[in-house]
Amino acid sequence: MAKKTPAKHTILLIEPDKVLAKTYVRALAAASFETLVEPDAQAAILAIDQKKPDVIITELQLAAHNGVEFLHELRSYPEWQDIPVVVLSQVPQAESGMSEQAAQKLGIKVYAYKYQTSLSDLTKIVASIL
Amino acid sequence: MKRIVTSGIVLGRLNFGEADRIITIITPDQGKLRLMAKGVRRQKSKMAGGIELLSINDITFIPGRKDIGTLVSSRLTTHFGDIVKNLDRTTLAYEILKKTNDATEDECESAFYDTAQAALEALNQNVLHRESIECWFLLQLLKLAGHEPNAYTTPSGQKLESGQQFSFDAEAMAFVQSESGTFADQHIKALRLLLNQPLEKLANIQNLDQLCRQLLPLLRNLHAQQT
Repeated sequence: MAKKTPAKHTILLIEPDKVLAKTYVRALAAASFETLVEPDAQAAILAIDQKKPDVIITELQLAAHNGVEFLHELRSYPEWQDIPVVVLSQVPQAESGMSEQAAQKLGIKVYAYKYQTSLSDLTKIVASIL
Repeated sequence: MKRIVTSGIVLGRLNFGEADRIITIITPDQGKLRLMAKGVRRQKSKMAGGIELLSINDITFIPGRKDIGTLVSSRLTTHFGDIVKNLDRTTLAYEILKKTNDATEDECESAFYDTAQAALEALNQNVLHRESIECWFLLQLLKLAGHEPNAYTTPSGQKLESGQQFSFDAEAMAFVQSESGTFADQHIKALRLLLNQPLEKLANIQNLDQLCRQLLPLLRNLHAQQT
């Protein structure tokens, strides 16, 4: 009998910087995660509608919508309440104006400052919340 | 089939089947509606832009035989787009939608719509502090539910005297004179204004934001108890 390979976890990465996005995708692929990339909030909502990811990694600085608005919109749908979110932002949490309480309300599991988060840190963060 | 044209604020959305969405929308004249927006999740849907959150939309719908009607067309007329420039205001705006949804039945008074609209508009215009808008909104919800705090008399019916300190008696929903009380007569005056004035008239009141910051824990508590 053929061995069944376990299904890969799907990560949705919302990252407007294409070069950075490619780097993250490679690192996550090396850790056996399948990663979909979307550049903005609207495309991300459509992507989630097509395939519900196991984890969402998002920048807060997005074109048109901001990341917080995206998170509120995401949580406004009852069926997407339980998708864990990692914020990976160029804005540190202290400067983002987001309190721990607000982060918790939005289902943010980890708030990571982009410039202090290595690729291996990111894969560890994702693995830890799956 | 009878078609109804109105406007409304989307309070919530639920994905349904492959491409549909059930929206919950509050209107000034038709109460709170649940409408099936068919095909709205397809990229080319013309209705998608007209059922956005934090906006007022013109809608045409066919009432349902049971409780879910059918959305025929929608068009965005006002988008409160400046709200999302500030994180605190964004969070409060989504709370306003959620609390309005939680507080309303299908056949709700138009005052619920007016309250949500005024609060979103004030958040968008950024002329009042977030705390003042939240206090006003919570008080209006409490008032509509018949649970507003008594800002005029003590539980025994005596007028609240100026120059005194007060604490709040949650059981009687009224203030009582107390030397160790955390509220002064300026809080009481602020409460009266918040209860009775439209939001746009509150912009020029001095220290309102500071007073509201001190009143907020009480009002959040009262709202939580009531729900």
